Amino acid sequence: MRTSAGEMEKEETEDRVLVIPCSGIGKVQGLLSREATYFVVDELAPEETDTLCLALLVKGDADAVEEVRTHRCIAIDGCSKACAQKNVEMAGGQVGKAIQVASALRNYRGLQPGTGTALTKDGWAIARDIAKTVAAEAACLREGKDGEQ
Amino acid sequence: MSDGESSTATKIGIISCSGEEIPEGTVSRLATRRVLETLRPGNTVTLCLPLFLAGNEGERNFARTHPTITIDGCDKQCARWGTEKHGGSVSRALVVSDILATGVADCSRSSRSRGPADEAAVAAVAERIAAGVDALIGEGAKPQMEPDPAADGAACACMKPADTGSICLRGEEVEIPALPVVFAQCASRGLPADATGAPLLLETAKVFHYIAPEDEADYQAALVEAYRLFLGG
Repeated sequence: MRTSAGEMEKEETEDRVLVIPCSGIGKVQGLLSREATYFVVDELAPEETDTLCLALLVKGDADAVEEVRTHRCIAIDGCSKACAQKNVEMAGGQVGKAIQVASALRNYRGLQPGTGTALTKDGWAIARDIAKTVAAEAACLREGKDGEQ
Repeated sequence: MSDGESSTATKIGIISCSGEEIPEGTVSRLATRRVLETLRPGNTVTLCLPLFLAGNEGERNFARTHPTITIDGCDKQCARWGTEKHGGSVSRALVVSDILATGVADCSRSSRSRGPADEAAVAAVAERIAAGVDALIGEGAKPQMEPDPAADGAACACMKPADTGSICLRGEEVEIPALPVVFAQCASRGLPADATGAPLLLETAKVFHYIAPEDEADYQAALVEAYRLFLGG
């Protein structure tokens, strides 16, 4: 059966993995989560991933809730409060992979990633590393694997 | 306490939507940061919006214990909605797309691509927030309820620095962020204040404080001594 371009595009869109950062406003971890997300959805895997306003989900927007319920999600949280993960789960979505920046930073001791306002050169490198991990996890989720643990 | 003293003590809460999908969300986040850091650092506090749902009662009380300005990227006004749902009334509600109109057309979502248009947008919105802060302080805005001193804190968990502890390193006092929490966790796990517990103390302290490899031995000894005192030894 032939599939129209429109149907193929819809299928690809529906197959996208949602990458949802906390964007925590207080510390660099929140900015790292946000910029890592943009690395993934804008650069590393623009056709395979997308992002969603977490605030919209917090609001209970029907379209946003539907999005997280019908797509596999990766939450990138700055800290252990895990606001992105919790809000996706509270909306009825399934978090295929939850990443915490604060934990990831243990691999970069001694580096100064910046502040909640701006990343340093080190910070951008860390954001890119986190993004690579997320892109790989997204690929695993799309292939039906659980992803790396 | 006089009204003047009271209004001086009142901090204005600023809650940004930080919407990830649109450049206006980035502008709202950066403008809020600018007000907190540069324009009105002594008069403002913030809270991550998602914490309203994911956080504890103290965090949900944030808007009740602070006169609040919400700053939203678009007319969906998620920050205003969330604040009103969990915190009560909002003192001012600003919307980036209303403030900037078409001025956001050349702005970017990621700070990586930040240019003059982004800077101009952030500056304009930050000034509007700061003006709102000034107006509320001028009006003598009061919180709907006083903060509970026994609560876990209605201030932003991110903005609240971890308690700092100190150790005596080579005769000098060195402060280490979150040291009391580190010690409390180690104590709860029964970690001994001796050479067997020293490596874990060092590794945990290094999460919060840079320690050069050549200083590790001295830090380890100092941490064990401070931990022993923490345990009451």
